[in-house]
Amino acid sequence: MAVELMVNGSRRRLEAPEDTPLLWALRDDLGLTGTKFGCGRALCGACTVRVEGVATRSCQTPIGGVQGKAIATIEGLRESHPALVEAWVANNVPQCGYCQAGQLMSAAALLDGNPTPTDADIDAAMSGNICRCGTYGRIRAAIKQVAEGAA
Amino acid sequence: MIRPQTQAFAATHGRGAPANLSRRRFMQGSTALVLGAATPMLGAAAGANRDAQATLAPNVFLAIDGDGGVTITASRSEMGQGVRTALAQIVADELEADWGAITVAQAVGDPVYGDQNTDGSQSIRLLFDTLRQAGAAAREMLCEAAAQEWGVPAAECDAAEHAVRHQPSGRTLGYAQLVPAAADLPVPANPPLKSRADYRYIGKGQVHVDANDVVDGQAAFGMDVTLPNMAHAVIVRPPVLGATVASFTEPPAQPGLIGVETLDGVGLGGMFQPLGGVAVIADRTWTAIKIADALQVEWGESPHDGFDSTTLAGQLRELVRADGERMFDQGDVEASFAADGQDVEALYETAFLSHAPMEPPCALANVTATGCEVWAPVQDPQSTRGLVAQQLGLDPAQVTVRVTLLGGAFGRKSKPDFVLEAVELSKRLARPIRVTWRREDDIRHDYYHAASAQYHRAKLDAEGRPTAWLQRTAFPSIQTTFNKAAVAPAGWELEMGFSNLPFRVPNQRFEYAGVEPGVRIGWLRSVCNIFHSFSSNVFIDELAAAAGQDPIAYRLALLGESGALEVPGTQPPEGHALDLGRLRHVIERARDVSDWNAARAAGRSLGFAVHHSFRSYVAAVVEVQEDAGTLSAERVHVVLDCGTYINPDTCRAQMEGAVVFGLSIAMRGEITMRDGRVQQDNFDGYPVLRMGESPDITVELVASDALPAGVGEPGVPPVPPAFVNAVFAATGNRHRTLPVRA
Repeated sequence: MAVELMVNGSRRRLEAPEDTPLLWALRDDLGLTGTKFGCGRALCGACTVRVEGVATRSCQTPIGGVQGKAIATIEGLRESHPALVEAWVANNVPQCGYCQAGQLMSAAALLDGNPTPTDADIDAAMSGNICRCGTYGRIRAAIKQVAEGAA
Repeated sequence: MIRPQTQAFAATHGRGAPANLSRRRFMQGSTALVLGAATPMLGAAAGANRDAQATLAPNVFLAIDGDGGVTITASRSEMGQGVRTALAQIVADELEADWGAITVAQAVGDPVYGDQNTDGSQSIRLLFDTLRQAGAAAREMLCEAAAQEWGVPAAECDAAEHAVRHQPSGRTLGYAQLVPAAADLPVPANPPLKSRADYRYIGKGQVHVDANDVVDGQAAFGMDVTLPNMAHAVIVRPPVLGATVASFTEPPAQPGLIGVETLDGVGLGGMFQPLGGVAVIADRTWTAIKIADALQVEWGESPHDGFDSTTLAGQLRELVRADGERMFDQGDVEASFAADGQDVEALYETAFLSHAPMEPPCALANVTATGCEVWAPVQDPQSTRGLVAQQLGLDPAQVTVRVTLLGGAFGRKSKPDFVLEAVELSKRLARPIRVTWRREDDIRHDYYHAASAQYHRAKLDAEGRPTAWLQRTAFPSIQTTFNKAAVAPAGWELEMGFSNLPFRVPNQRFEYAGVEPGVRIGWLRSVCNIFHSFSSNVFIDELAAAAGQDPIAYRLALLGESGALEVPGTQPPEGHALDLGRLRHVIERARDVSDWNAARAAGRSLGFAVHHSFRSYVAAVVEVQEDAGTLSAERVHVVLDCGTYINPDTCRAQMEGAVVFGLSIAMRGEITMRDGRVQQDNFDGYPVLRMGESPDITVELVASDALPAGVGEPGVPPVPPAFVNAVFAATGNRHRTLPVRA
């Protein structure tokens, strides 16, 4: 059926069943492959996007439930959160890079609601995102760098 | 749509050579690998210099276009170890190129590049000289072209910052201006190489070349490449290795369903051939997943229906409690154990592990009337190409394997079974097919890191020093993945921390044993070093405790004087013995940077381990905190000596990652099998370390002019034993089984 999604500020129409997870609609229908498939069960956070600003696991989010809501993906992050993206590069955070879209979207949601998070805040907000390469320390450093810029 | 990555001028070179199917030295048997045969010939592409496009391409690794843009071709796969950046740094250094002018292309699988098997932490080690020569050859040609232009001796010209300068006159010409003339010059066979003091990029930190694409969501991983008319396949594979499809209920016709195909598979010893099963092909990934999830399949019998990891663990314990195959024996171990003195013995066990890269296996294949093209996250595109050609009955020249970024690999993606699935389905459906493994497929159908057991026994003299040392190891060999009868551990597996123990005691014996597994066994980041470093490092800690001595001081006393220790280790290149001075140095530095002897706050305890692997030396101190009965790893100090390093920031990042990887192994990692079936299937049953559990990590990199050594793997082995030794210091509980059940 026809579904209309607001992605990174643009109205996008697609033909897909309403129970299709947002992850697969973004990747297969809209060609936005920056959002990644990691586990399919909201266990790893690789598929994290922001829906109305809230970090959301897109692999468990049917498109029928997010019609009309503001969906933000990694492809729009440099425009919306330039300091965050630049801090990620400056700290040379990514190793393989596969989980980083999800990490960045979780970090953006954290900083939007809490511009100067404590270590405990960061751990709480980011522990749903697995990085198998082990970039956690640099993620923490990059978030703190942005927070210091905001403070 | 993200378009497939540009592949620079690679596919036209070198055809028809047999693919190298080896991983490490497996296929070479006991004889030494003839490395020279796999070393690319610089200057082989010299004819390309006469190209009308005015491109200076003195070899397969770099091309400078008429605008001065430099394309450096990375022949190794990027899986997070920063290899695309490091390889480019080496070429750019000798080329005296501006970093901003560099684009890194990815090589297709082709023997013209030499060995492309990205494993064994040896990309830099094997390519360092080759790439320096590649960059230097182009630099010399540019200098010569400028000298001819000016009518001056080339010796009066030098290159810097993407230009050639005539020293006496101060005139300069940019590389872009020199390319047409330089392209017509002969390629120098032995260009002079820069001295270490003049390195511009080697040894300097550099942000990874793909970092911006990653943070913009534009980097192309295996799952991100698409082709017109592509269909998606998800495969239901046999729950027990070697089982075949008896029957299945055809899914009802529904929108998006394109087809259902039964695939033949292989059992133990099937190398990299697929497992078989039932493939669901659909218009979208999600449609295929949904239908595959609901598919009812009846499976036939398998010889591994009764395989049980608990039973296997019992077999391994029995094997190491009895005499094994003897590989080293000096002095008189029996007489020493019969004599008076303190006797210490311990049995260690480690679990099966899964790689679980964040990107599950996936591949896109397009089989056409004339050949086959593959886009996939593979560690070895050459062997993949050979296997695809073999499967389709094609000449390898008709097969192109394009390497995407690898969303993690850790050894999993050196085994391209997932590519062969996509190839088979593309052939049958006559259209491009992307195969996507669900996470459940990945965890249930891996090439698992082997479970193991080790037994250690030592006799201590009055000063607490060992006079006798017996060690035994048992595990299902990776060789069973290639030949199910080859159950005994291979020499190269034992050279990973067992037969190359860094010290000798007067009476010493090493023994090993193997056992047949009921699952595929494969290489995982640092491989057998994981369990051998674990048992030997914890055992030495136990000896130090028995002797009432400090673990680091005890270890330093155990090591011989500085010098080279002859140990087995035949990984190429040869001639790189175990250097006791370097080993001692990382131990002493780890002691000092961790402030090992300083008093700590209540509940804080330290553990130490050191390991030599992939020709690097790594020492680690783990600090654990005990708080109301719970233990956490709070801080880890790592000292790495990897010889000459290219990108120090990458080296640190790899140590940081290795700490997280090692702590996941120590605290969480366990795959179990019952009735032949793997009992975990996702990150709930197979948890890995998360942000909140990740310690603060400091890394010291030892400055060295030794040959480049490994970085991606050698950080892992010392971490689990250092953690276990810290837990002992904190609680007095000696955990001899991984993962630690706190």
